[in-house]
Amino acid sequence: MNKLTLTRLVAILGLVVCVAGIAFRLEEIMRRPYRKDLSRPRGDARRGLLYAFTLGLAPWEKESTRLHWLAYLRGIVFHVGIFVALLVFFASPWLAALPLVVVMAGTAITAVGAVAGFAGIWLRRAEENLRALSLPDDYLSVLVTSLFVTLAFAVLVWPASLPLFYLVSGVMLAYIPFSKIRHCVYFFYSRFFFGQGFGHRGVIGQPPGEYAE
Amino acid sequence: MTDEKFTAERFKLTDEKAALALDVLRQRLNRQLEASLEVCVRCGVCAESCHYYVSDPKPEHVPAYRAEQVRKVYRRLFDPLGRRSPGWVGAAELDQEMVEKLIYAAFGTCTMCGRCVINCPMGVDTRHIVRTARAMLTAIDMTPEGLKATVDVHLEAGNNMGVTEEDFIDTLEWMEEELQDELENPNIKIPVNKKGARVLYTLNPREVKYFPYLIQTAAKIFNAAGEDWTLSTVGWDVTNYGLFSGDDNAARTIASNLERAMADTGAQVLVMAECGHGYRSQRWEAENWLGHRYPFPVTSFVELQAQYLKEGRLKLDPAVNDKRVTYHDPCNQARNGGIVDEPRYILRRAVMDFVEMEPHGVENYCCGGGGGMLAMSEFAPARLAAAKVKADQIAATGAEIVATSCHNCLDQLDEIRRHYKLPVKIKNLSELVAAAIVWE
Repeated sequence: MNKLTLTRLVAILGLVVCVAGIAFRLEEIMRRPYRKDLSRPRGDARRGLLYAFTLGLAPWEKESTRLHWLAYLRGIVFHVGIFVALLVFFASPWLAALPLVVVMAGTAITAVGAVAGFAGIWLRRAEENLRALSLPDDYLSVLVTSLFVTLAFAVLVWPASLPLFYLVSGVMLAYIPFSKIRHCVYFFYSRFFFGQGFGHRGVIGQPPGEYAE
Repeated sequence: MTDEKFTAERFKLTDEKAALALDVLRQRLNRQLEASLEVCVRCGVCAESCHYYVSDPKPEHVPAYRAEQVRKVYRRLFDPLGRRSPGWVGAAELDQEMVEKLIYAAFGTCTMCGRCVINCPMGVDTRHIVRTARAMLTAIDMTPEGLKATVDVHLEAGNNMGVTEEDFIDTLEWMEEELQDELENPNIKIPVNKKGARVLYTLNPREVKYFPYLIQTAAKIFNAAGEDWTLSTVGWDVTNYGLFSGDDNAARTIASNLERAMADTGAQVLVMAECGHGYRSQRWEAENWLGHRYPFPVTSFVELQAQYLKEGRLKLDPAVNDKRVTYHDPCNQARNGGIVDEPRYILRRAVMDFVEMEPHGVENYCCGGGGGMLAMSEFAPARLAAAKVKADQIAATGAEIVATSCHNCLDQLDEIRRHYKLPVKIKNLSELVAAAIVWE
């Protein structure tokens, strides 16, 4: 078995662990009771949901992201890098067939994404609040994900790094269900409940009310 | 840990208490709570959304740090790595040290105002997490004394200040007589137990006990608007400190008092007096505590006053209120209830010079009086220190009057006024409205 095949198997194994782990997590949260809100609506929960997943994510919509726009932007760039790295992972058997423009775009995005990822580790050490909040898992999660994005970049410019990319991908994917990286699953739940709850109460995402002037 | 260490015997954690607290966490773990406990990435951008942090910036005042204390206990129970390698994912046993951290985080430095919830990019509901921690602590008799007493008195007496029915009736009759004299109109009434009235109104016990003129204020507005209203001896207390103690059983019992009063009077609409948490409790939480929908709508007195003005049932002369007025949005009405436009609609008709504080509305800072803080004297110094941002907000407006529509806010704002030596008066929104009524 050559190096590429072996590391590809590691990646596939990681993917299996990831899917099984996420399935377990999903099964667990769906097993919990769902607290249905019995109060009469003041607003439209659906509009709240729409807001929560669209405009509500815009950096100018919240004081927190207006104040921390650079940190928020760093996070967005990092996550875009992760999504592109995942595309690279799933397209990896056919990389040679990709148009040059796609490869160049992917290279640029993963390069910037990787820098944004490592910057996140530095920020956790440099900033007092983040240092106090951070757990060992935070550092490993950001590190392994940043390496994943870095190696996606490497694969696009130097295909010979594919075995290393597979190896790191396998580790990262297997680590997802056990680490904070699993927020990628819970994000949809928490934003859903946020949008639904505050929309129901008429706080977010509503058209001007009858007393608006 | 706190300004006054919790040294009483009941604050000592035993194995039985630890097991009970963890059972409460297990029982309350629903989808909403689990999502909030799992999704935080500890990015820390919530820091400035908390008035404790803004007034005293330290990591312990970051909302994520506060919620993290509950997460530690949660991870020890539910996270596979938390069970096997707790240090790696920040899991911790519920021991004496952790209990003290929870008391400080959940009762001592959080008003459950929800400002961090609105500001969280992930949608973490820290209100929910903190209330769960409070529920765990209350279940093992570790609620701070003042808050515990407030709930206990409400459960025993039907109102949180132990006002007897005799005192209640006497006060209402006294206020009715004074009102009739003031307006020279013997037909002005403060009805009690009137059957079939459209509106059942509620009061804060501090109105009956210390500020009875506020009962007159409401009575003036109802009479001027030609409302068919009543109070009830079956249930009249607008407050529900079960919201703050996290005790759903107590909250349910307290909420049901007003439901019984509605059934007894046959009123169509339950109107919550100007009380932020009372409104939130009865309008948004009570039906969930009780497990059934009310057959009647619940509304706030603020909404009703705006409606009277819109319908032309209430005529106001703003010239009576010629000083500059700013408005403090109670968190439980604005951010947690969507009542933002109504008070402004009212003030633009009731006063000559209305100015906003910044930020305001949904993004307004908590005054620090929410979450039952005023009942927990142990944390009073921290509460007042955390109110510096509110004092700065008020001072920047140049207003001479701060209006609000919540009794806890009113008390806290008055303490802020004295503590920070602000040259302002604190008034209920309805006071300004009542003063400006044009009687026809």
